[in-house]
Amino acid sequence: MGKEKIKINDEFYDIMPPEYQELVEEATYGKESRGWKDVGEAKELIEEHSLCAGCPESIAFRYVLACLPKPEDTVMVGSTGCTSLVFPHVAVHNIHSLFGNQNAIASGLKRTLALRFPEKVKDVVVLAGDGATVDIGLDMTLQSWFRQEKFTTICFDNELYANTGGQESGLMQKGFVGKMAPAGKKFDKVPLPEIARNSGCHYVAVMTVSKPNRVEKAIRNAILVAREIGPTYIQLYTPCILEIGKQMMEGLQEMRDSEGPGKRFEFKEYVSDEAKVFLDEMDAERKRKKKALRAARAK
Amino acid sequence: MYAVAEVVDESCVAHKGCRLCIMYCPEADTIRFDKEKKVAFVVEQRCKGCELCVVVCNAAKHNAIELVHR
Ligand SMILES: Cc1ncc(C[n+]2csc(CCOP(=O)(O)OP(=O)(O)O)c2C)c(N)n1
Ligand code: SF4
Ligand code: SF4
Ligand code: SF4
Ligand SMILES: [Mg+2]
Repeated sequence: MGKEKIKINDEFYDIMPPEYQELVEEATYGKESRGWKDVGEAKELIEEHSLCAGCPESIAFRYVLACLPKPEDTVMVGSTGCTSLVFPHVAVHNIHSLFGNQNAIASGLKRTLALRFPEKVKDVVVLAGDGATVDIGLDMTLQSWFRQEKFTTICFDNELYANTGGQESGLMQKGFVGKMAPAGKKFDKVPLPEIARNSGCHYVAVMTVSKPNRVEKAIRNAILVAREIGPTYIQLYTPCILEIGKQMMEGLQEMRDSEGPGKRFEFKEYVSDEAKVFLDEMDAERKRKKKALRAARAK
Repeated sequence: MYAVAEVVDESCVAHKGCRLCIMYCPEADTIRFDKEKKVAFVVEQRCKGCELCVVVCNAAKHNAIELVHR
């Protein structure tokens, strides 16, 4: 598909908002090799939004949107929290679900899209905070994995309820004292990646968003595996600088400090046997294509 | 008064492939690459003045971004 759907009628072109014109002219819908390297040169699929200055959730959002393999055929499902301040400014179809219901909505949506468009690939991607994924929505999160629903769940883990002022979340680290959790967390951070693996996810990855290359690879793997095989899960550390007492420009350093060996967000990846065969085949195919292209150019 | 970022063209090494500020700015379409001048530039109306671009540019010893007041 590509840009066909958003093209502007010539008669109306000049009265459309400049941001929309830019989307039509320069956004990367329909580009097979799209990725984070397009940022700075192509129009991004995200406009201005009201996240705090310097918020790493915002950096993560940019990478995720730049890396979706097929944004024109993707529907994202969001939930309440800071991430929901961004969705109204995103140029990808999206649904706002009631807090915690995101994986239930996504299950129904994915099945309906498969019935409605049997000849097309339609990706469904959930993107929600840790409170939505692990506390209030845990039932829906887990049930969708048990049922092998074919969509990707991305959790923006800032280890607390940021949007409501810093209450405790299941993903908060033990001992942490939040602005609205003065007694300190009494139990360990919920090991959701391990739970995901044991609950049927075929691709699981945990990381910070300090390395866009790595985020890109994980997002693509997760979405393609979900398309072909079954549920996938990505947990990204997107520290809430406001609630952990960091300055606006300190988010990147906070992520780098949290991803070293043995740290909470050391890069981890789990791939099921089935997904591994699929990803290896895809890799080989890509290499074959590249080689053929090089050979054709050399002629 | 607002603080916004500004790139000093003479110091920017985007022509050698540097994209650090473009990569790490939290805001979309805010630091862009000028294909003709081969430098990064800031779209001022979008900048929230967080200074992250200054930090990453300075850490790489390019010192090509300043915060200016408007
Ligand atoms: C059903 C329901 N319960 C509670 C709330 C209040 N509420 C709004 S945002 C939020 C916390 C969100 O935390 P998280 O999912 O971690 O996202 P973050 O803001 O940290 O990105 C809560 C409890 C709500 N909006 N709806
Ligand atoms: S409250 Fe925290 S997570 Fe929410 S926008 Fe601000 S810095 Fe980001
Ligand atoms: S980080 Fe500095 S040197 Fe690199 S592109 Fe940005 S302004 Fe130029
Ligand atoms: S100050 Fe912050 S928002 Fe402004 S250009 Fe730099 S990184 Fe982007
Ligand atoms: Mg949170």
